[in-house]
Amino acid sequence: MTFRQFAFNNVARNKRLYAAYFLSSMFTVMVFFTFSIFAFHPALSGDDMNSSVAQGMNIAAGIIYVFSFFFILYSMSSFLQSRKKEFGLLMIHGMSMKQIRSMVFLENMIIGFFATLGGIVLGLVFAKAILLLAENVLIIDNKLNFYIPSQAVVLTFVSFIVLFFFISVFVSFVLRSGKLIDLLKGDKKSKGEPKASLLLTLLAALLLGGGYAIAFVVKGMLVIAAMLPVTVMVIIGTYLLFTQLSVFVIRRLKNKESFSWRHTNMILFSDLSYRMKDNARTFFLVAIISTVAFSAIGTLYGFQTFLSAGIEKANPNTFTYYGDEQEEQDVARINATLQEEHMKANKAHAELHYYDAAGDSVLIVKQSDYNRFAELIGEETVNVKDGQTFLVKSEALTFGLPNKQQNRAIELESGVVLDQEEILQSSALPSSDYYIVSDNDYEKLPAPADIKSYHAWQATEGKQHVLSAAEKLYQQLPYEVTSGEYDIYQLNKGYGPIMFVGLFIGIVFFVSAGSFLYFRLYTDVDGDKQKFKMIAKMGLSEKELKKVLTRQTAILFFAPIIVALIHGAVALTALSHLFFYNLAKESAIVLGVFLLIQIIYFFVVRLFYTKQIQAAVHL
Amino acid sequence: MLHVKQVSKVYEGKVTYNALTDIDLTIQQGEFVGVMGPSGSGKTTLLNIIATIDEPTAGDVLINGNNPHRLKKEELAKFRRRELGFVFQDFNLLHTLTVEENIVLPLTLDGGKVAEMKQKAYDIAGKLGITGIMKKRTYEISGGQAQRTAIARAMIHSPKLLLADEPTGNLDSKASKDVMEMLESINRNERTTMMLVTHDALAASYCNRVVFIQDGRLYTEIRRGDNRQAFFQKIIDTLALLGGHANDLSSIRVQ
Repeated sequence: MTFRQFAFNNVARNKRLYAAYFLSSMFTVMVFFTFSIFAFHPALSGDDMNSSVAQGMNIAAGIIYVFSFFFILYSMSSFLQSRKKEFGLLMIHGMSMKQIRSMVFLENMIIGFFATLGGIVLGLVFAKAILLLAENVLIIDNKLNFYIPSQAVVLTFVSFIVLFFFISVFVSFVLRSGKLIDLLKGDKKSKGEPKASLLLTLLAALLLGGGYAIAFVVKGMLVIAAMLPVTVMVIIGTYLLFTQLSVFVIRRLKNKESFSWRHTNMILFSDLSYRMKDNARTFFLVAIISTVAFSAIGTLYGFQTFLSAGIEKANPNTFTYYGDEQEEQDVARINATLQEEHMKANKAHAELHYYDAAGDSVLIVKQSDYNRFAELIGEETVNVKDGQTFLVKSEALTFGLPNKQQNRAIELESGVVLDQEEILQSSALPSSDYYIVSDNDYEKLPAPADIKSYHAWQATEGKQHVLSAAEKLYQQLPYEVTSGEYDIYQLNKGYGPIMFVGLFIGIVFFVSAGSFLYFRLYTDVDGDKQKFKMIAKMGLSEKELKKVLTRQTAILFFAPIIVALIHGAVALTALSHLFFYNLAKESAIVLGVFLLIQIIYFFVVRLFYTKQIQAAVHL
Repeated sequence: MLHVKQVSKVYEGKVTYNALTDIDLTIQQGEFVGVMGPSGSGKTTLLNIIATIDEPTAGDVLINGNNPHRLKKEELAKFRRRELGFVFQDFNLLHTLTVEENIVLPLTLDGGKVAEMKQKAYDIAGKLGITGIMKKRTYEISGGQAQRTAIARAMIHSPKLLLADEPTGNLDSKASKDVMEMLESINRNERTTMMLVTHDALAASYCNRVVFIQDGRLYTEIRRGDNRQAFFQKIIDTLALLGGHANDLSSIRVQ
């Protein structure tokens, strides 16, 4: 048996040990590969994708690659951690550190090679599904057909072989031997608890509380200024939360014998404190990564809703038209198009009069005109008495910014003074800060500075044809006609790729956070098997075993995620303060979906973990 | 107290292997019985069957008239926890727990008052001379201390039957002697029924009776009289008949 044979057999005959590391490497390759299948798709690299989107895709691929590097590095080091005893044994038999290094290097290259191949093959299998998903998210005109992604294969293969090479070199270089006795006793000695100091515990609470308070208080552009300091505060605070506060709490609970000596608590808590250092590090990583995923996806989703809500509010009508010289002809054409598309619509028309006031142009509408448009979109009509003036504000057009106080009367240049008495919120007319006067008063107004003819249609039948009608009209009358629905469609179309990339990266982050947890759990699986075997001999019922394992897994899976959810909720609240737009629903949806996925993941992992332990214990 | 009736154990596999064949064994209340035999004779299989860790292929095991193998899993766990105590060759202590926590573990699983548990732990630790190491972790103590901790853990709930599998296998002669003397005194003072599987003739000589097994069958049994040294010699002689050499140990040592 040559040394190379030994290294090879060590992997080939020990598949179970390497499985977790291999699978996560393969998963990483698959993620990168599917993404590049998508990025290199011929339908997307054509004229449809402008250069900025293509660049965005490249940046995203770069982010995934860099992240893969750290993810595989982490998986690798936690995998090596669990093999300390094996290295100790090999060293006792005279293996030199140099040989161990070259063994680790060879093993890594073998695993890396097969993980890359496996990831590409698996990626090909899932490619169609990914392309279908992309098609739906992206709103692409031509379909994303399956293709043989030779470019993506080459790119993935080369970049991951390079990646595994560097990681293998790096890991075998930094592999420290330590004392032989520590290697051999590695699994019996705790890595110790991080030191808990009251000062740092208080600091953790202070940093988190302060960060949250700032995030809640600041509004508008201040949010951007406060973002960096708050992020830093919360990251440090989270680290201290897991290394200090958790140590503090677990110590207190463990030392309280009336609690920790009850039933299976002792097994659970001794374990928690024993693995505190590893747990704290994993929890911190998972919490931060998940927060990034939640915030990124929440932001993208929230931003999209915010934009489409803005368009929808600004354009409540199916079609609107501002007249120009060919008004009659255009209106006839619009009506004809509606008929062609089998649509029926209610219509309203008004001449909008603009007056000059203090260098500004002010729109004044008579009550009957306003009421017609209000009725058209189902808003309440108003009743303006003679001598009264209503000020109308549109929420959409001010982008939710709080309106400046405008309580003073407005004096038109012609000398007429309008004293507003009531402020309305309405989207009936595509304008903000305009005035409604009674029909009688309207007649008395002097000649306007400007007149615009405004038409609005509200579809009552055949609404499903709005998009095709709009497309025709936009081609014929690109400047005069506006359709809110078509604008939203256009926005989604342009926003699709960004959304897709954001979703993809967010999901990659989230899934890898899950893998970190999985690794944490499975590093200790052998120790757990041995431990429960011993306890089972003394008499541990299946129910009790399940209870301990459930609690153990639940703490691992939910402690960091709940922190991340709270962080994410705060971040999204800050975001809604930036836009002055309430994102509560969107945040709840995004965070809720993630929580649900995590719960499902928890149940799946618990099932398998419990089964494995039970098989070892033979209950 | 313990009745093993016609117990057989067959391991199915490519080649069927009869680990135990028609074993009959009765242990009286308060008796201290050793089981000896060459490697592969089925000693540990027998112990595991009595300990309910393994199932017999045929035959019954009755402990105080009850057959624990008929119990449901949940009840079986409770039965082991309350009625049986175990001591293993490799101690089987949990390294995440301190010595004290290891000792009280069977009690905490069953639920109880902390003060009571602590009292019991310190009582038994006092008897075994390990009060000084109660707060230590398992990797900080010696093998002898670890085995005494394991005995304390096996005894803390006053089990009806204490089962020991090679308890001296990992210990030197001094520590072995300490451990065996402790078991003997517990047997004498607490009237705990004990069964011990061992290779060590010296350890076996502390028993009231030693049963020999060969190739899965009962071979013979010998009883101890007043003199432990004479009993030890008898054990050596029987082992020699079982395939060892009588002069493995010089009889000159026996005075």
